[in-house]
Amino acid sequence: MITANKSAAGERVPIREGLLTGPLSRLDRVRLAGCSCTTCGETSLGSKNICPNCGGDAVREVSLSNHGVLWSFTVVRHRPPGNYKGPDPFVPFGLGLVELSDGLRVLSPIRCDIDKLKIGLELQFKPYVRKDDDGREVVAFSFEPASQ
Amino acid sequence: MSDVVILGTGMHPFGRFEKSYEELGAEAAAAALRDAGVEWSQIQAAYLSRMYLPATSGARILRRLGSTDISIVDIEAACASGGAALRQGVLAIRSGEVDLALVLGCEKMPRGFMDPSMIYSQWQIELGMSLNPAYWSMRARRHMHDYGTTELQIAKVAHKNHKNSVHNPYSMYQKEFSLDEILNSPLVCDPIRRLEICAPDDGAAAVVVASAKRARQLGANAKAINIAACCHTIARYSADFRCPADSMSATAANPGPTEVTAKQAYDRAGLGPRDIDCFEVQDTDAFCEIEICESLGLCVPGEGGRLIDEGRTEIGGATPVNMSGGLISKGEPVGASHLGQLVEIVSQLRGQAGPRQVADAKVGLAHVLGAGGNCAVTILQR
Ligand SMILES: [Zn+2]
Repeated sequence: MITANKSAAGERVPIREGLLTGPLSRLDRVRLAGCSCTTCGETSLGSKNICPNCGGDAVREVSLSNHGVLWSFTVVRHRPPGNYKGPDPFVPFGLGLVELSDGLRVLSPIRCDIDKLKIGLELQFKPYVRKDDDGREVVAFSFEPASQ
Repeated sequence: MSDVVILGTGMHPFGRFEKSYEELGAEAAAAALRDAGVEWSQIQAAYLSRMYLPATSGARILRRLGSTDISIVDIEAACASGGAALRQGVLAIRSGEVDLALVLGCEKMPRGFMDPSMIYSQWQIELGMSLNPAYWSMRARRHMHDYGTTELQIAKVAHKNHKNSVHNPYSMYQKEFSLDEILNSPLVCDPIRRLEICAPDDGAAAVVVASAKRARQLGANAKAINIAACCHTIARYSADFRCPADSMSATAANPGPTEVTAKQAYDRAGLGPRDIDCFEVQDTDAFCEIEICESLGLCVPGEGGRLIDEGRTEIGGATPVNMSGGLISKGEPVGASHLGQLVEIVSQLRGQAGPRQVADAKVGLAHVLGAGGNCAVTILQR
């Protein structure tokens, strides 16, 4: 069966619908999507119709800041279970909560030497393209130390 | 005086067993009935707390005790399933519709890694966000940054709990580890190490609950333990960063699930943290115990590390925590863990805890917290 939204090989898709905003063909313009609520003022991750804090529907989609500060982190020392798409063989990696000026902290892989991880580290958003088994280009994301 | 009491408890040890979940659960249920001195045929309602078992597991387990036509319901609320199930039993009795009920917790966890799609979305799994200890570790790292909590303090909590478990026949490990062994065990997710986290396993625990009036009619007053409070809540928006959250608010100031649930329980019981003689709390990892002690009001936020430094949470201390060895030693059969804590508290309040006994314990509190910010707090009083 062919469905209208079935994506073809070579097509670019976000790692999850509603998580990214901007033209996927221009990675430098891709941002995390957010949902800003005019009732309670909370901004949350991903586009949605209802504010996850107050339940109101007076929300609008926003692009989240592409700069942030490392609020906390860990180093994942073992290959995560399931369909993990990181390097094979597994390489330990940093995972952190990145505080954005929009008023939220986003969980993200942190692409840097694990010995450099430190609370307060200045970071920048780093979308990237991953080739899936079916030939599709999937746009995923990480954060990396901000360039000076 | 509370209106609902625990008449008896029963437990199957936590660990890894070749038995079926039906066998594990039926053994714990039968033991609780024996301890309560009541027959299965007298029970008017039964609740099974479980997370990873198939549909209608409660009926399948309890069929082994004999045919029945009572209501048997399976209940799931992640790590707090046991509290949610007990609460249903308490409410049923308080409604007046039944006056004798069984609450059973049972779990047989899948071997090896659990399927992460039970709780995580595909994109989280693909990006490597599907390890539960990663979430606990980030909480620990931030607490260390904000309050100066140390890796040594975290290791000391693990040391205490492993040491306590040596005297608990229901515990999976029952083995003491030195601080050196703990601090040299491999990192799972920095700064949390292998000997500082709990493992999923198998086990079952049960309580028989009754109205105070029925307990008197049964002549069971002397051994009845009052349920002073049994509360279950889930975390409000961003009040708790725990798996499978993909983000958290930096501005919302909702109180955490342990604070909210404990306050409900303290208010209902008419007690405060200083009135509690012993605690069993969710030590999914050793840091978690430090944080929860703060949330339960044993000290002010940030001072949790001092509790272990000063020995206050040791069995001989002012506020003993995890006398049973905690989940770090027992493992966490999710549906059974809170009922297992209650078995320990009841044994403490009856003065039957042997080498783990807290002197003259009159009031005990059990706490669980898990995925989605599910939290339960039960306070028992003799
Ligand atoms: Zn809102």
